[in-house]
Amino acid sequence: MRFISMVKFPEANAVPPSKAFLEAMGQLTQDAAKAGCVMVGAEGLLATSAGARIRLANGRVTVIDGPFAEAKEVVGGYAIFEVNSKAEMIEWTRRFMDLHRTHIQGWEGEAEIRQIAGPGEKLCDQALESQVAAI
Amino acid sequence: MRFMSMVKSNEAKASPPPKALFDAINELVEEASKDGCVMVQAGGLMPTSSGMRVRLAGGKLIITDGPFTEAKEVIGGYAIFDAKSKAHMLKWTERFMNLHKVHMPGWEGECEVRQIPEMGQEPCGQNSESRAAAE
Repeated sequence: MRFISMVKFPEANAVPPSKAFLEAMGQLTQDAAKAGCVMVGAEGLLATSAGARIRLANGRVTVIDGPFAEAKEVVGGYAIFEVNSKAEMIEWTRRFMDLHRTHIQGWEGEAEIRQIAGPGEKLCDQALESQVAAI
Repeated sequence: MRFMSMVKSNEAKASPPPKALFDAINELVEEASKDGCVMVQAGGLMPTSSGMRVRLAGGKLIITDGPFTEAKEVIGGYAIFDAKSKAHMLKWTERFMNLHKVHMPGWEGECEVRQIPEMGQEPCGQNSESRAAAE
Protein backbone atom coordinates (compact mmCIF):
# COMPACT_ATOMS: atom_id res chain seq x y z
CA MET A 1 0.00 0.00 0.00
CA ARG A 2 1.10 3.57 -0.69
CA PHE A 3 1.05 6.52 1.70
CA ILE A 4 1.87 10.18 1.28
CA SER A 5 3.45 11.96 4.23
CA MET A 6 3.09 15.75 4.28
CA VAL A 7 5.20 17.63 6.80
CA LYS A 8 3.67 20.82 8.17
CA PHE A 9 5.25 23.47 10.36
CA PRO A 10 5.08 27.23 10.99
CA GLU A 11 6.78 28.82 8.01
CA ALA A 12 7.92 32.00 9.75
CA ASN A 13 10.07 30.46 12.43
CA ALA A 14 11.19 27.29 10.65
CA VAL A 15 14.54 26.04 11.86
CA PRO A 16 16.86 24.81 9.12
CA PRO A 17 18.19 21.27 9.47
CA SER A 18 21.74 20.64 10.64
CA LYS A 19 24.19 18.35 8.86
CA ALA A 20 23.78 15.76 11.65
CA PHE A 21 20.02 15.78 11.13
CA LEU A 22 20.32 15.29 7.38
CA GLU A 23 22.72 12.38 7.91
CA ALA A 24 20.38 10.77 10.44
CA MET A 25 17.52 11.18 7.96
CA GLY A 26 19.53 9.51 5.22
CA GLN A 27 20.27 6.60 7.54
CA LEU A 28 16.63 6.29 8.59
CA THR A 29 15.47 6.24 4.96
CA GLN A 30 17.94 3.43 4.25
CA ASP A 31 16.88 1.45 7.34
CA ALA A 32 13.22 1.88 6.42
CA ALA A 33 13.83 0.71 2.85
CA LYS A 34 15.63 -2.41 4.09
CA ALA A 35 12.65 -3.14 6.35
CA GLY A 36 10.21 -2.79 3.44
CA CYS A 37 9.13 0.83 3.83
CA VAL A 38 10.45 2.26 0.57
CA MET A 39 10.43 5.96 -0.28
CA VAL A 40 9.34 6.15 -3.91
CA GLY A 41 9.32 9.95 -4.26
CA ALA A 42 9.88 13.07 -2.20
CA GLU A 43 10.11 16.80 -2.76
CA GLY A 44 10.53 19.87 -0.66
CA LEU A 45 8.27 22.78 -1.56
CA LEU A 46 9.33 26.39 -2.03
CA ALA A 47 8.17 29.05 0.42
CA THR A 48 4.44 29.85 0.18
CA SER A 49 5.42 33.24 -1.29
CA ALA A 50 5.98 31.31 -4.53
CA GLY A 51 2.56 29.65 -4.28
CA ALA A 52 -1.12 30.54 -4.54
CA ARG A 53 -4.56 29.37 -3.56
CA ILE A 54 -7.39 29.11 -6.03
CA ARG A 55 -10.65 28.96 -4.16
CA LEU A 56 -14.19 28.23 -5.30
CA ALA A 57 -16.85 29.45 -2.88
CA ASN A 58 -20.38 30.77 -3.40
CA GLY A 59 -20.03 30.28 -7.14
CA ARG A 60 -16.90 32.43 -7.42
CA VAL A 61 -13.32 31.47 -8.19
CA THR A 62 -10.75 33.62 -6.38
CA VAL A 63 -6.98 33.51 -6.76
CA ILE A 64 -4.99 34.43 -3.66
CA ASP A 65 -1.23 34.75 -4.04
CA GLY A 66 1.17 33.56 -1.37
CA PRO A 67 2.66 34.01 1.17
CA PHE A 68 -0.01 32.34 3.33
CA ALA A 69 0.71 34.56 6.32
CA GLU A 70 -2.54 33.61 8.08
CA ALA A 71 -1.75 29.88 8.10
CA LYS A 72 -0.50 28.56 11.42
CA GLU A 73 1.36 25.77 9.65
CA VAL A 74 2.03 25.08 5.98
CA VAL A 75 3.14 22.00 4.06
CA GLY A 76 6.91 22.17 3.64
CA GLY A 77 7.39 18.97 1.69
CA TYR A 78 6.09 15.51 1.02
CA ALA A 79 7.28 11.96 0.60
CA ILE A 80 5.53 8.91 -0.85
CA PHE A 81 6.16 5.44 0.59
CA GLU A 82 5.38 1.92 -0.48
CA VAL A 83 4.89 -0.11 2.68
CA ASN A 84 3.28 -3.37 3.86
CA SER A 85 0.94 -2.02 6.51
CA LYS A 86 -0.39 1.13 8.13
CA ALA A 87 1.26 0.08 11.42
CA GLU A 88 4.68 0.05 9.75
CA MET A 89 4.03 3.45 8.20
CA ILE A 90 3.16 4.85 11.64
CA GLU A 91 6.28 3.35 13.18
CA TRP A 92 8.66 4.81 10.56
CA THR A 93 6.94 8.18 10.72
CA ARG A 94 7.27 8.15 14.50
CA ARG A 95 11.00 7.54 14.11
CA PHE A 96 11.21 10.30 11.48
CA MET A 97 9.58 12.77 13.85
CA ASP A 98 11.75 11.55 16.69
CA LEU A 99 14.81 12.60 14.67
CA HIS A 100 13.43 16.13 14.63
CA ARG A 101 13.14 16.00 18.40
CA THR A 102 16.73 14.79 18.76
CA HIS A 103 18.39 17.06 16.22
CA ILE A 104 16.36 20.28 15.97
CA GLN A 105 15.84 21.95 19.32
CA GLY A 106 12.35 23.35 19.73
CA TRP A 107 11.08 22.14 16.35
CA GLU A 108 7.33 21.82 16.26
CA GLY A 109 5.15 20.42 13.54
CA GLU A 110 3.43 17.35 12.25
CA ALA A 111 3.42 14.73 9.55
CA GLU A 112 0.01 14.09 8.01
CA ILE A 113 -0.07 10.55 6.68
CA ARG A 114 -2.69 9.69 4.08
CA GLN A 115 -3.22 6.52 2.15
CA ILE A 116 -3.12 6.85 -1.63
CA ALA A 117 -6.05 5.10 -3.27
CA GLY A 118 -5.32 2.10 -5.42
CA PRO A 119 -7.50 1.04 -8.36
CA GLY A 120 -11.12 0.72 -7.27
CA GLU A 121 -10.57 2.14 -3.79
CA LYS A 122 -12.79 4.83 -2.40
CA LEU A 123 -11.45 8.37 -2.68
CA CYS A 124 -11.75 11.23 -0.25
CA ASP A 125 -12.63 13.56 -3.11
CA GLN A 126 -14.05 11.52 -5.95
CA ALA A 127 -13.38 14.32 -8.39
CA LEU A 128 -9.74 13.28 -8.56
CA GLU A 129 -10.52 9.87 -9.92
CA SER A 130 -10.55 11.20 -13.45
CA GLN A 131 -7.21 12.96 -12.98
CA VAL A 132 -5.64 9.69 -11.95
CA ALA A 133 -7.24 7.90 -14.87
CA ALA A 134 -5.97 10.57 -17.23
CA ILE A 135 -2.29 9.77 -16.70
CA MET B 1 9.04 24.67 -13.50
CA ARG B 2 7.19 22.11 -11.40
CA PHE B 3 4.21 22.69 -9.14
CA MET B 4 2.28 20.59 -6.68
CA SER B 5 -1.45 21.15 -6.52
CA MET B 6 -3.37 19.96 -3.47
CA VAL B 7 -7.16 19.95 -3.67
CA LYS B 8 -8.93 20.60 -0.37
CA SER B 9 -12.60 20.37 0.46
CA ASN B 10 -14.96 19.57 3.28
CA GLU B 11 -14.83 15.81 3.73
CA ALA B 12 -18.20 15.56 5.47
CA LYS B 13 -19.97 17.31 2.61
CA ALA B 14 -18.23 15.31 -0.14
CA SER B 15 -20.62 13.88 -2.69
CA PRO B 16 -19.86 11.79 -5.76
CA PRO B 17 -19.26 14.14 -8.68
CA PRO B 18 -21.19 13.69 -11.91
CA LYS B 19 -19.66 11.92 -14.89
CA ALA B 20 -19.79 15.21 -16.78
CA LEU B 21 -17.14 16.61 -14.41
CA PHE B 22 -14.86 13.61 -14.95
CA ASP B 23 -15.16 14.00 -18.69
CA ALA B 24 -14.56 17.74 -18.56
CA ILE B 25 -11.47 17.28 -16.36
CA ASN B 26 -10.05 14.65 -18.69
CA GLU B 27 -10.50 17.02 -21.59
CA LEU B 28 -8.94 19.90 -19.62
CA VAL B 29 -5.89 17.81 -18.67
CA GLU B 30 -5.40 16.96 -22.34
CA GLU B 31 -5.80 20.55 -23.44
CA ALA B 32 -3.41 21.79 -20.72
CA SER B 33 -0.86 19.22 -21.74
CA LYS B 34 -0.95 20.43 -25.36
CA ASP B 35 -0.38 23.96 -24.02
CA GLY B 36 2.70 22.87 -22.08
CA CYS B 37 1.13 22.39 -18.64
CA VAL B 38 1.75 18.68 -18.24
CA MET B 39 0.47 16.55 -15.39
CA VAL B 40 3.38 14.31 -14.46
CA GLN B 41 1.88 12.53 -11.48
CA ALA B 42 -1.33 12.49 -9.48
CA GLY B 43 -2.85 10.59 -6.63
CA GLY B 44 -6.27 10.47 -5.08
CA LEU B 45 -6.24 10.08 -1.31
CA MET B 46 -8.47 7.79 0.68
CA PRO B 47 -10.77 9.25 3.36
CA THR B 48 -8.94 10.64 6.41
CA SER B 49 -10.29 7.69 8.43
CA SER B 50 -7.41 5.68 6.94
CA GLY B 51 -4.88 8.41 7.79
CA MET B 52 -3.12 9.72 10.86
CA ARG B 53 -1.12 12.62 12.20
CA VAL B 54 2.18 12.36 14.01
CA ARG B 55 2.83 15.58 15.87
CA LEU B 56 5.89 16.85 17.71
CA ALA B 57 5.15 19.67 20.14
CA GLY B 58 6.70 20.65 23.43
CA GLY B 59 9.18 17.80 23.07
CA LYS B 60 6.41 15.18 22.91
CA LEU B 61 5.24 12.98 20.07
CA ILE B 62 1.49 12.54 19.72
CA ILE B 63 -0.07 10.15 17.23
CA THR B 64 -3.67 10.89 16.28
CA ASP B 65 -5.64 8.48 14.12
CA GLY B 66 -8.04 9.75 11.48
CA PRO B 67 -10.73 10.75 10.68
CA PHE B 68 -9.76 14.41 11.01
CA THR B 69 -13.25 15.51 12.02
CA GLU B 70 -12.07 18.86 13.40
CA ALA B 71 -10.56 19.94 10.08
CA LYS B 72 -12.71 22.33 8.07
CA GLU B 73 -11.18 21.07 4.84
CA VAL B 74 -8.85 18.17 4.12
CA ILE B 75 -6.66 17.28 1.17
CA GLY B 76 -8.48 14.95 -1.18
CA GLY B 77 -5.75 14.50 -3.72
CA TYR B 78 -2.68 15.97 -5.33
CA ALA B 79 -1.18 16.38 -8.75
CA ILE B 80 2.24 17.46 -9.95
CA PHE B 81 2.55 19.59 -13.08
CA ASP B 82 5.34 20.81 -15.26
CA ALA B 83 4.28 24.30 -16.41
CA LYS B 84 5.91 27.23 -18.20
CA SER B 85 5.42 29.75 -15.39
CA LYS B 86 3.43 30.41 -12.25
CA ALA B 87 0.90 32.43 -14.25
CA HIS B 88 0.54 29.52 -16.66
CA MET B 89 -0.02 27.09 -13.79
CA LEU B 90 -2.59 29.40 -12.19
CA LYS B 91 -4.45 29.84 -15.48
CA TRP B 92 -5.02 26.09 -15.79
CA THR B 93 -5.83 25.66 -12.11
CA GLU B 94 -8.43 28.38 -12.40
CA ARG B 95 -10.01 26.54 -15.30
CA PHE B 96 -9.94 23.31 -13.27
CA MET B 97 -11.83 25.04 -10.47
CA ASN B 98 -14.24 26.60 -12.94
CA LEU B 99 -15.19 23.10 -14.09
CA HIS B 100 -16.28 22.38 -10.51
CA LYS B 101 -18.38 25.53 -10.56
CA VAL B 102 -20.11 24.44 -13.75
CA HIS B 103 -20.56 20.76 -13.01
CA MET B 104 -20.93 20.64 -9.23
CA PRO B 105 -23.04 23.61 -8.15
CA GLY B 106 -22.55 24.31 -4.46
CA TRP B 107 -19.15 22.60 -4.27
CA GLU B 108 -16.68 24.60 -2.23
CA GLY B 109 -12.99 24.09 -1.90
CA GLU B 110 -9.57 25.18 -3.03
CA CYS B 111 -6.40 24.17 -4.80
CA GLU B 112 -3.21 25.03 -2.99
CA VAL B 113 -0.51 25.43 -5.61
CA ARG B 114 3.09 25.22 -4.47
CA GLN B 115 6.28 25.37 -6.47
CA ILE B 116 8.77 22.51 -6.24
CA PRO B 117 12.35 23.79 -5.92
CA GLU B 118 14.74 23.49 -8.82
CA MET B 119 18.38 22.63 -8.24
CA GLY B 120 19.87 25.22 -5.89
CA GLN B 121 16.55 26.64 -4.65
CA GLU B 122 15.94 26.37 -0.92
CA PRO B 123 12.76 24.66 0.27
CA CYS B 124 10.17 26.29 2.52
CA GLY B 125 11.61 27.56 5.80
CA GLN B 126 15.19 26.94 4.76
CA ASN B 127 16.51 30.13 3.28
CA SER B 128 20.28 30.30 3.12
CA GLU B 129 20.37 32.98 5.81
CA SER B 130 18.74 30.81 8.47
CA ARG B 131 20.76 27.81 7.29
CA ALA B 132 24.00 29.74 7.74
CA ALA B 133 22.91 30.81 11.18
CA ALA B 134 22.27 27.19 12.17
CA GLU B 135 25.71 25.94 11.15
